[in-house]
Amino acid sequence: MSEGDMAIMKPEVMKSYIWLQTADGSIQQVEEEVAMFCPMICREVIQSSMGSSKNYAISLPQRVNTAILSLILDYCRFHQVQGRSNKERKSFDEKFIRMDTKKLCELTSAADSLQLKPLVDLTSRALARMIEGKTPEEIRETFHLPDDLTEEEKLEPLRNTADDPRIRLLNRLYARKRKELKEKEKLKNVEIEEEQEDHRSVDDLLSYINGGNGDSKQVRAPKHKKKNKKKKDQSKDHCCNNANKNCKEGTLSSTCENGDKCKVVPSASQTPKQEDSADDTISPKVEFDDDIDDELDPAMKEKLDREVEDFARRLNSDWPERMQEILSLGQEGRAVPISMNGNGSLSRYTRLDRR
Amino acid sequence: MENSEDSGDVFSNLPLNIIECILVRLPIRDAVRTSILSSKWRYRWTTIPQLEFDEMQFPTTSPLMIIRRKAINFIDRVLLLHNGPILKFKLSIACLQSCPDIDQWILYLSRKDIKEFTLRLDDSEWYKVPSCLFSFQQLTHLELLRCELQPPPTFKGFSNLKYLTLQQSFSENDIIESLISSCPLLEHFTLTYWDASSIQISAPNLKYLRLEGEFKDIYLKNTPLLITLSIGLYMTDDIAEHLEETTSCNLMGILGCVPHLERLVAETYFVKYLSVGMLPWNRLSGTYNHLKHLELFQVGFEDVDEISVALYLIVNSPSLEELQISGSSDIEIADESFDLNFWEMQHSLDCSSPKLRTVKMIEISGVQNELEFIKFVLGKSPALKNMSIKPSVYVKEGGWEMLVELLRFPRASPQARILYMQDQA
Repeated sequence: MSEGDMAIMKPEVMKSYIWLQTADGSIQQVEEEVAMFCPMICREVIQSSMGSSKNYAISLPQRVNTAILSLILDYCRFHQVQGRSNKERKSFDEKFIRMDTKKLCELTSAADSLQLKPLVDLTSRALARMIEGKTPEEIRETFHLPDDLTEEEKLEPLRNTADDPRIRLLNRLYARKRKELKEKEKLKNVEIEEEQEDHRSVDDLLSYINGGNGDSKQVRAPKHKKKNKKKKDQSKDHCCNNANKNCKEGTLSSTCENGDKCKVVPSASQTPKQEDSADDTISPKVEFDDDIDDELDPAMKEKLDREVEDFARRLNSDWPERMQEILSLGQEGRAVPISMNGNGSLSRYTRLDRR
Repeated sequence: MENSEDSGDVFSNLPLNIIECILVRLPIRDAVRTSILSSKWRYRWTTIPQLEFDEMQFPTTSPLMIIRRKAINFIDRVLLLHNGPILKFKLSIACLQSCPDIDQWILYLSRKDIKEFTLRLDDSEWYKVPSCLFSFQQLTHLELLRCELQPPPTFKGFSNLKYLTLQQSFSENDIIESLISSCPLLEHFTLTYWDASSIQISAPNLKYLRLEGEFKDIYLKNTPLLITLSIGLYMTDDIAEHLEETTSCNLMGILGCVPHLERLVAETYFVKYLSVGMLPWNRLSGTYNHLKHLELFQVGFEDVDEISVALYLIVNSPSLEELQISGSSDIEIADESFDLNFWEMQHSLDCSSPKLRTVKMIEISGVQNELEFIKFVLGKSPALKNMSIKPSVYVKEGGWEMLVELLRFPRASPQARILYMQDQA
């Protein structure tokens, strides 16, 4: 260990300094107690006896350039002092992280390479705060991110790392969606711009006509939202399925009476299934209406919708027996979904969250 | 400003561990949404090892049913897209109570070597956790609120579990006892809103224990490493009756073998409980050499046994640094039970609390026994700095007489200050 030697050969002044070299080649000496606050430097000093002189300067990792090093040393200089109150430290930290995002990223990266965990925590928390609650556009602007995902790309297949049949299913759905997108493009030329809600129902009609065995779940006409919500509330109140059905049919027919152009579709998709619990056919739509990511762009939203739907299907088809077993495990008090592995396309609608 | 492409690279090209650091600090909803930022962010979130879902992410203005559906939908989605190990899963959404989807999520997680699992449901019904939860063999941290536990017969314990919290949960008492004893590494155990005639805790590595509920008898059997103990009781007629009939010494049942105890918090009625079957001090064994922090709530100063418990703990804890006592004295009887001989005996004891620095006395009504108690502490604490006294709201005229009396007491510590904290009317 060189510390002993240092103490003998180099009195006070030299003893308390460590030599550091940044990747851009500049060498500087730093107070020992400040430099040693970085675990990476500390380790070098203790294990490799480096840093004792200019010739034995500790080479810092690539990510630490001179400007960033000086910031990091400011941080260490403040925090290595014992006896500061938490309040003092907090207010220092708050001021310390006030810098442009690019610098903040560089600082985070550099702190990570020096294993300076408290600073990594501080800066990544700051970066997280810049993302939290923001729209994608705002985030892109803050971090100068390229908006390089086209609507098409957003629907591109998921990477299938684990050869998971789920992902394959999803990808098939994506492919279909892409086709639909193209159809939509064609239709756009014909249709009037403002009738946004119509697109979906046309899609829906298309897939219905094309034998997309009820793939009409992406119906999301805004008008419907209200109706469906109402229905949901009703279904909450009435436990009786029949009563439910009546309510729904009531609302549906009134929807049609309103004369809204697109309202035909949902009833169309519903009619063939009316012998089953009406709730089943309604619920997928209802869920998608209540999409959490209201601000998501429609393509993404649709994509996610499909993924969920697929998840439900997977749960139903992959291990139905297992599910059945689990769901029936002593749950007398609770509603257990019916027809978990019912035949035909209906089973996929059977959502497990239904009461 | 910088070249925009350049700066974009800085953020997106951060080391993956840092990106993970950032993503786990985001509410999960925001983390998931980073996937539409740019091509580089497309799959970044899908490998975060921590998934925490709570109500904050869903607008509270919506009707419960809608929040419920949104939540289920969202969680399904996240689990489907997530790719990689999940070490921590936390779900605290009250309205998801008795929703069968939870069973599926737990089944899904049971294949993920999960380490920390928290389920905080808070509604009218209890949620019966599925048996696959008991197959989480990597689990180190388990927290359940309002759940019903019924481990399968094949359950052999959580061999890695260190932290267990059961709040408002329901199970057979012996299930809990065997659950605790079958988790050999358990360090931290909390059990609240529990109803049991008798509970016996045997956990050789336990450091923290908190119990709250209707307990008739509590035994700490094998807890040699316990550092923090906090117990509160609900006093029902049934329990009051049981305590009257109890003849064994409750204090020894709990504090008989906790040599490393550093912090003891006696919440509601626990001092009363400890005072049952109180023996003369010379027949009690044990000193609490590590006890630094003692909090006793609702000490009834009309009851000599309760006072004895407090004095016993103070006298036998030479490392005590902080003491907080809140009184709950029945003024009517308190002065009748005042026994000058008892106090003269205490004051003449040859003992001291050499490290006691801070004492807080709350809800003090000014009855003789309380004043004598304060006199005792002031006289035996040579290092005391602050003795703060907050009179009960029922003390008339600000307790002027009490204050005059207090100031007359001799103080073993020359630097001891008496802080009389009066509520501003």
